[in-house]
Amino acid sequence: MNLKELYQEIILEHGKNPRNLGKTDDFNKDAKGHNPLCGDNVHVYLKLNGQKIVEDISFEGSGCAISMASASIMTDLIKGKNEHEAKEIVEDFLGMIKENPELKSDNLEDDEKTKLMCLSGVKQYPMRVKCATLSWHTLVSAFDDKKEEVKTEN
Amino acid sequence: MNINQVKKEFPIFDEKIQNNDLVYLDSANSSQKPKVVIDRINEFYTKQFSNVGRSVHYLAVAATNLYENTRTSVQRYINAKDKNEIVFTKGATEALNLVANTLGQNYLQEGDEILITELEHHSNYVPWHFLRKSKNIKINFAEINNDGEITLEEIEKKLTPKTKIISITHLSNVTGAILPVKEITELAHSKGIIVVVDGCQGAPHLKLDMQDLDCDFYAISCHKMYGPTGLGVLYGKKKWLEELPPYQGGGGMINEVKKDRISYGDLPNKYEAGTMATAQVIAFDQSIKFLESVGIDNVMKHEAELVEYGQELLQKNNSVKLIGNPKNKGGVLSFTIEGIHPHDVATILDEDGVAIRAGHHCCQILHDKLNIPASSRASVGIYNTKDDLDKLNEAINNCKKIFNL
Repeated sequence: MNLKELYQEIILEHGKNPRNLGKTDDFNKDAKGHNPLCGDNVHVYLKLNGQKIVEDISFEGSGCAISMASASIMTDLIKGKNEHEAKEIVEDFLGMIKENPELKSDNLEDDEKTKLMCLSGVKQYPMRVKCATLSWHTLVSAFDDKKEEVKTEN
Repeated sequence: MNINQVKKEFPIFDEKIQNNDLVYLDSANSSQKPKVVIDRINEFYTKQFSNVGRSVHYLAVAATNLYENTRTSVQRYINAKDKNEIVFTKGATEALNLVANTLGQNYLQEGDEILITELEHHSNYVPWHFLRKSKNIKINFAEINNDGEITLEEIEKKLTPKTKIISITHLSNVTGAILPVKEITELAHSKGIIVVVDGCQGAPHLKLDMQDLDCDFYAISCHKMYGPTGLGVLYGKKKWLEELPPYQGGGGMINEVKKDRISYGDLPNKYEAGTMATAQVIAFDQSIKFLESVGIDNVMKHEAELVEYGQELLQKNNSVKLIGNPKNKGGVLSFTIEGIHPHDVATILDEDGVAIRAGHHCCQILHDKLNIPASSRASVGIYNTKDDLDKLNEAINNCKKIFNL
C-alpha cells in the first residue's frame, strides 16, 4: 500500500466524515488522550449497560486525518461489543498497527476487519503510529475509569 | 557566491533519500553539515584525540590549543570584546538555563519581573518558569502584532518598574520576525534592565556583532550553524560572568578544593564543568571558517531572496495560509493548509523528498495565540535554491490533490 492509497482510503471512508463525532448523551465512562508530539487531542465517551455492553460510543477531538479516521473507525467497530470483546479488539489492533500482518480477533466480522485493515499502512510511517493508536489507548482508559489523561508515545 | 558550489560542500545532497533528491527545508530545526566539519571530527578522533585542559602530555596540550582556537574564532565571528566571554555549553538550551539559573540565584529578588515574548521557543520560557516557583518571579509576555512581529513599542509598553530582565529571540523560528534587539537593548539599559537573547535562529542567518548589539547574554546553537550537535555557545558580558555564581560543579571549574572550602576557576573554566564536547568544539571551528569563507553578507542576501521567492509562491497557492508577515523576516515559511492537518502535510511532502517540520515547533504559546494546534514550517539554509521552493510548492499541490482540495 502506498501513501496515496493509505490516505485516500482513510479519507474517503472516515477522515472527512467522522462517525460518532460529538458527546454521547448520558455517557457513563469517558477519558481524554493527548499526543504531545503532534498535538492531537481526543475525548472518548462510552455508555455501558448493566451487561457491560457498549450501547453507545462517541468521540470529540482534533488532529490529523490518521488520528481522526482511526477514532472514527474504532467507534464504529466497538459499538455493540461487550467490554471483554472490545479490549480484545484493541489488543488486536495495536498488534496489527505495530507488527502483525493480520488481525486475529474472532470478535470482528470480515467486513469489519477490512475496514480496520485500511489503517495497516500506517505502520510504514513509524512517526505516525501514535496518531493511529491514541483513541484506542484512550478507549481502554475510559473502560478502566483512569482519571489521568492518556499520553501516547507509541 | 555560487550556490551550486556551496551545496557541493554538503555530502548529504549526494544521497538519495527514499529514491528522491533531498529537498531539505528544515534548517531552523537543524542544519546539514559541510564536509570540512564531518572530516574534522573524524580527523580529531583518528589522529589527535585527547581530553583538554588537564594532562601535560603532547596530545593533551595540542587538543587544548585546538579547543581554545575555536573560542577565539567564535569571539571573532560574533565580535565579542573578550575571549573569556565565550562559554561552551551542551546547547543553546543549556546556555539559557545557565543564565536563568544563575541570575535567579544571585540577582533576582522575590517579586521581580521578567519580560519575554509570545514568540519564544520553550527553551526561552521554561528556564524562567522555574523561577516562578523558586523565587516568586513574575513573567510577562510582549504580544505579537497582526504581522507576527514584536515591536519596540510593545516591549516598552510591557515594562514595569519591577522588570529586571528582558529575554527575547533574535529571530522567530515560526513567523521569521527579526526583533529590533539593538533598540530593545538600548531601551532596557537606559532602565537598568538586563537583556538576554536567544540567538538560535539569529546566529546562523544574521550578522553578529555583540559589541554593537550590546546585549548582556546571547545563546547560540551550533548544530543550527552548520556545526556538530551537542554543542552551544553562551556569550555573556564579562562583568556578568564574573559576578554570577557557577552553574554546575565538577572537574575543571575549580581553583582549589578543600574539605571546608572550595574556590572556583577563572573564566571561562568556571562555567565549563566536566569533560566538554571536545571533538564538537574543535570541529565547530570549521563551521565558523566555512561561514566566513562564504561570507555572512552573501548568506543573508541569498536567504532573503529565497524567502521572498518562497513567500510569493505560497501566497499565490490557494488554500495555503502563511503565518505572519513581518517586514524584517528571516528564512522561515510557516503555513497552514485549510482542510489538511500539518502532520498529514509533512508525511505527504516527505514522500516527495521534501523535508519540512510540522507541529508547534516548541512554541505552544504562539500557536495558542494564533488559535491553531500546529503548523507546517519550511525553513531555508545556505544550501537551498529556488528550485527547492518550487519543489515544495509542487509537493503541496500534490498533497492538496490527495485530499481532493
